[in-house]
Amino acid sequence: MADATLSRRGVLAGGAAITALQAPAVFGQAMPTLRCAFWDHWVPTGNGALRQLCGQWGERNRVNVSLDFINTTGNQLQLTAAAQAQSRSGHDIISLAPWDVGSYADQLEPVDDVMGRLIVKYGPANQVAEFLAKHRGGWRAVPATSGTQNKPALCRFDLLEQHAGLDVRAMWPAEDRRGPGADNWTWDTFLRAAEACHRAGVPFGLPMGQFTDAVDWVGALFASYGARVTDERGAPTIRGNGELRQVMDYAVRLARFLPNDVWAWDDASNNRALISGRSALVFNPPSAWAVAKRDAPQVAERCWTIPMPSGPRGRFLAYLPWNSAIWAFGRQKTAAKQLLEFLGERESAEVTTTTSNGYDIPPFATMSDFRVWSAEGPPVGTIYNYPLKAHHQATPSIAFAPAPPELASQMYIQALNTKVIARVAQGGETIEAALGWLEREINNMRRG
Amino acid sequence: MADGGAMAAPRAAAGGTMQRMARRKSTVAFLLTLPLLAVIGGLVAWPAAYAMYLSTLNRRMTAFIGLENFAILLDNETFRGVIWQSCFFAITAVVLKALIGFWLAHMLHHIPTKGQRLWRGMLLVPWVIPPALSTLGWWWMFEPSYSSLNWLLAVFAVPAVPWLGEPWWARVSVIIVNVWYGAPFFMIMYLAALKSVPEQLYEAADIDGATGWQRLRYVTLPMMRNIISITVLFSLIVTFANYDIVRVLTNGGPRDLTHVFASYAFQVGVLSGNIPRGAAVSLFMFPLLAVIAYFVLRGINERTKEIGA
Amino acid sequence: MRIGSLKAERRWALWSAYVSLIIAAIVMLAPPFYMLVTALKTSAEIADQSGNPWIVLNPTLENFAAIIGNPMFRGFFWNSIQVTVLVVILTMLISVPAAFALSRMRFYGSQWLATGVFLTYLVPDTLLFIPLYQIVGGLGLLNSTWGLVLVYPTLTVPFCTWIMIGYFASIPKELDEAALIDGAGWLQMLWRIFIPVALPGIIAATIFAFTVSWAAFVYPTAFITRPDEMPLTIGVVSQLIRGDTFAWGQLMAGALLAALPPVVVYAFLMDYYVAGLTAGATKG
Repeated sequence: MADATLSRRGVLAGGAAITALQAPAVFGQAMPTLRCAFWDHWVPTGNGALRQLCGQWGERNRVNVSLDFINTTGNQLQLTAAAQAQSRSGHDIISLAPWDVGSYADQLEPVDDVMGRLIVKYGPANQVAEFLAKHRGGWRAVPATSGTQNKPALCRFDLLEQHAGLDVRAMWPAEDRRGPGADNWTWDTFLRAAEACHRAGVPFGLPMGQFTDAVDWVGALFASYGARVTDERGAPTIRGNGELRQVMDYAVRLARFLPNDVWAWDDASNNRALISGRSALVFNPPSAWAVAKRDAPQVAERCWTIPMPSGPRGRFLAYLPWNSAIWAFGRQKTAAKQLLEFLGERESAEVTTTTSNGYDIPPFATMSDFRVWSAEGPPVGTIYNYPLKAHHQATPSIAFAPAPPELASQMYIQALNTKVIARVAQGGETIEAALGWLEREINNMRRG
Repeated sequence: MADGGAMAAPRAAAGGTMQRMARRKSTVAFLLTLPLLAVIGGLVAWPAAYAMYLSTLNRRMTAFIGLENFAILLDNETFRGVIWQSCFFAITAVVLKALIGFWLAHMLHHIPTKGQRLWRGMLLVPWVIPPALSTLGWWWMFEPSYSSLNWLLAVFAVPAVPWLGEPWWARVSVIIVNVWYGAPFFMIMYLAALKSVPEQLYEAADIDGATGWQRLRYVTLPMMRNIISITVLFSLIVTFANYDIVRVLTNGGPRDLTHVFASYAFQVGVLSGNIPRGAAVSLFMFPLLAVIAYFVLRGINERTKEIGA
Repeated sequence: MRIGSLKAERRWALWSAYVSLIIAAIVMLAPPFYMLVTALKTSAEIADQSGNPWIVLNPTLENFAAIIGNPMFRGFFWNSIQVTVLVVILTMLISVPAAFALSRMRFYGSQWLATGVFLTYLVPDTLLFIPLYQIVGGLGLLNSTWGLVLVYPTLTVPFCTWIMIGYFASIPKELDEAALIDGAGWLQMLWRIFIPVALPGIIAATIFAFTVSWAAFVYPTAFITRPDEMPLTIGVVSQLIRGDTFAWGQLMAGALLAALPPVVVYAFLMDYYVAGLTAGATKG
C-alpha cells in the first residue's frame, strides 16, 4: 500500500523521484525496503526534498525507500506513532513530535553513533534539539531538518513604522549585525507596538488557542521571563513563583491588544490574519509570507522577519523541532541509521531547506548560513533573520521545558500555558486563581 | 417490537410435521440470528465491558487502580465543565431542533400538497450532507478574518461577532450547527405524524369553533405526543454523544469550554495517550443513556400497544 | 361573515407558511451554497476582502480540477466506496435474516434479543471507540480499511434490523401460513415471499446503511491515520487542511464532492429515504 502511494504521488512530484526509486527494482534483485513516515510538509513543495534525497540515497545503497507523509492536522502523525508503539509494528523510521522522543524512548533504537559523527562534522546541535532527542544521556532520535521550524516575528514593516514608529528593517537588517534599536527590541517595546497597532486597527495576530503556534510562542515568552511551571521531576513550581506571576501579568496586558477571538485561533488563523492585511505582526515561519506572495502579493512585499523580543532573562526563540527516530522493533535498523545520517548532512539539509523556500531549520548552528535565507524575496532579505543567527543573541526554546517528557507532552497537547492566560484575560479570573487551577491541572495529569 | 401474534398459527396446528418443523425452526432461527449476535456481542457488549475494565487501570495500563480515574475526573474542573457543557449543549440543541422542526412541519403541512415535495426536498439537504463535511463549511463562515456571516452582519451595521473565540459564542456556534443539521430530521418526523392526524378531528374542532391555538393544543399535540417524545429522546442521545461538530468547529476550545464528553474523551484518551482515563470519560455518558433508553423503550412499547389496539 | 374571516385566516396562514419556508430554505441552503461559491473562487479572490464574499466574480473550476486530479483525494474516494459497499452488503446479509427470524420465528429469547437490538442501537459510537481502538489494535487492523469494515456494522446493523423487523411484521401472517402449507422451508419463505414484499423496506435500510457508512467520522478518526487508508470524511477534514495554510477553495470543493454521493442518492430516492427515516423512530 505504501509503495503504491509513493508511486501515485511520485507521478505528481515529477519523473525524477519515480525513476530514482523504482529503477533498481527492474534488475529483479531482492532489495530491502526501508519504510519511513515523515511529517507531511506544510509547504507544498516541502515533501519533494525528502523524496529526492531518499531516492538518491536508495539508489546509491540499493535499498527501496518507501515514504509516507503524514499530516499533523488532528494530530494524525502523533496518533500513528502511538498506534505503532502499541502494536510494535509499522514503519522503520518515524517523525516524532518534540516531546514524543522521551515518551517512546524505551522503544527507540539508540543513535549515538550517527549523532556522534554528525556532531564531529558540524559542531553541537542546538540545546533544545539535544534536550528533546536525548534520553538518559543517549541520543534516541536524530533531530530532523525537514519540518523543523522557528517562529520569529513576521512583521509588516510598513504598518509597524507607520503606527508604532519601529523601523524593523533598520533594526534587523539582512546582514549579520544589529541595527539601531535592536537592543531595545524587548517585550515592553513589543507591548507598546501592540497597543499602537491595536489602536490603528491592525492588531498583532498572536494565537492563544491550543495549537502549536500558540503554545510555542507563549512558551518562548515564559522562557524569556524565566517562568517555569514544573521542575525536572514534574513537580509544579507555581507557588511563590515570582517570574510566573510577572509573565502572567505581562501576557494579560498584551492580550488586551489582540483580536478578541485569538483564544480559538488555530495554526492557520494567524497566517490568514497576516495575509488578509488585518494584522501587523505574527509569530510564524515564512509559510505565511509564501502564501501571501501567491494570494496577496501587495502584503508579501511588505513583510520582514525579525527575532522575537527579549525579556528579563534574555531572548528566546520559539522552536518546533521534529525528530527522526528508528523503532527498536524495526527490521532495517542499519539502513535506517545510514539514511538518517545522510539526511543530517549539510548538503542534504541545504536541499531540504531550499526546497521548502527556507522554512526548514537544521539542528546545527553552523548551518544557519544557507543561501536561500538571504536570497528569498520580495523583499529580498525578508527571511534573512528567520534562522537563529549569532548576532540575535537568542536561545531556542520549547514550551514546558524542563518537565519530564510524559508530563510535558500532555501539557503541550492540552496547551496549559495559553489556557492559564486565557482564564485571566478572557475568563476574568485573578492571576492567583488561574495559577491555582494550573497547579491542580498539573497534579491531575501526574496522578493515576 | 417483534410481532406478537405472528407465530400463533403454527403453534395451534399440532402434529409430527409441525413439531419437527418447530425443532428445525429454532435451529434455523438461531443460525439466522447468529451474525447479529456476533455483532452485538463482539462489537458492542464486549467493548462496553472492556471499557469498564480499561477505566480501572492506570495510565500505562500496568496496574489496577479501581475507581481512581473517576475520582480524578470528578476532581477536575475542566471535566466538571465538560459535564455541564454536554448537558447544556444537548438540551438546548434538542429543544431548538424540536421547536424549529415542529414549526417547519406545520408550515409544510399548510401549503398545497403538490408543492410540499419540493420544499421538503430543499429543507432536508442539511440532514443529507455528512456533518463532518458541512461543518467545514460552517467553520469557514465563522472564520475570524474572512467570516461571511460577519460580513452579512456588517451590512446591517451589527458589529463583528467572535464566533469561535469567545466561549459563549463558541457554544452558540456549535449549537447553531447542530440545530441546522438536525432540525430537518425533526421536521420530517413531525410532518409524517401530522399527516396521520385524522382530518375529521380538525373538522370537529372547527365546528366547535376552536381557535388555531386550541386546535394545536387539544388536537395536534395530543395526537403527536408519542412521536414527539420518542424523537426528542432519540435526539438527546445522539446530540449528547456528538463528536464531529465539536471536533471540526472548535476542537473543544476556547479553554476547553466547548468540549463535550466525546471530544474530551478523544483528547484525553487518544491524543494524550491516557486510554483508561479516556474510557472513564466516555463511560460517564452511560447512566444518562440508560435513563433515556428506559423512557424510549417505554414509549415504544406504549406506541406498539396503541397501534395494536 | 364567518366564512370570509375563515378565508382571510387561511390566506394569512398560507402567506406565513411560505414566508417561513423561504426563510428556512435560505438558512438551510446557505452553508452548502457558500461552500460552492468558495469552491468556485480563485485563491486570490478568496483572499480579497473588498467585495461581497457571497458572490463569485470570476468563477473557475480549477479547485475542482485540482482536487479531482489529486491522487490522494481519489484514494479517499475509492476507500470510501470500498468500505461503504462492503459494509452495506454485510449489513444487509446480517440484518435481513435476523429481522426475519426475530419477527416471524418466535424462539427462546427472541423477545429479549429484539429489545437488545434496540438497545444496541441507542449506544453511540463515541462510547465505544476507545475500547474498540484497543480491540482493533490488538487485531492489527489499525490503519486498515478492513478495520472499518469490521466496526461499521455496529452503526448500521441495529437500526437496519430494527426497521426490517417492522417491515416484516407488517406483512400479513396469512402469507407465511400459506407458504408453510405449500411445504416451503423458512429460507425459501424468506427469499420468495418476504424479501420481495418488503423490498421498499430493504431499499430504505440499504440507503440508511449507505449514508451512515459514508458519513461515519468517529471510527475513522480514531483508527485511521495513514492517508492512503482514509475514507473521505476524515481524509477531507484532516488531509486537505494543511497545517498553517489552508487552500479553502480546494477544501470546499473536496467537501462538496465528498458529500455528492449521499445527496445524489437522496435526490433520486427521496421517498425511500424519508420512509426509512420515519419507519419507527430514528436517530436525529
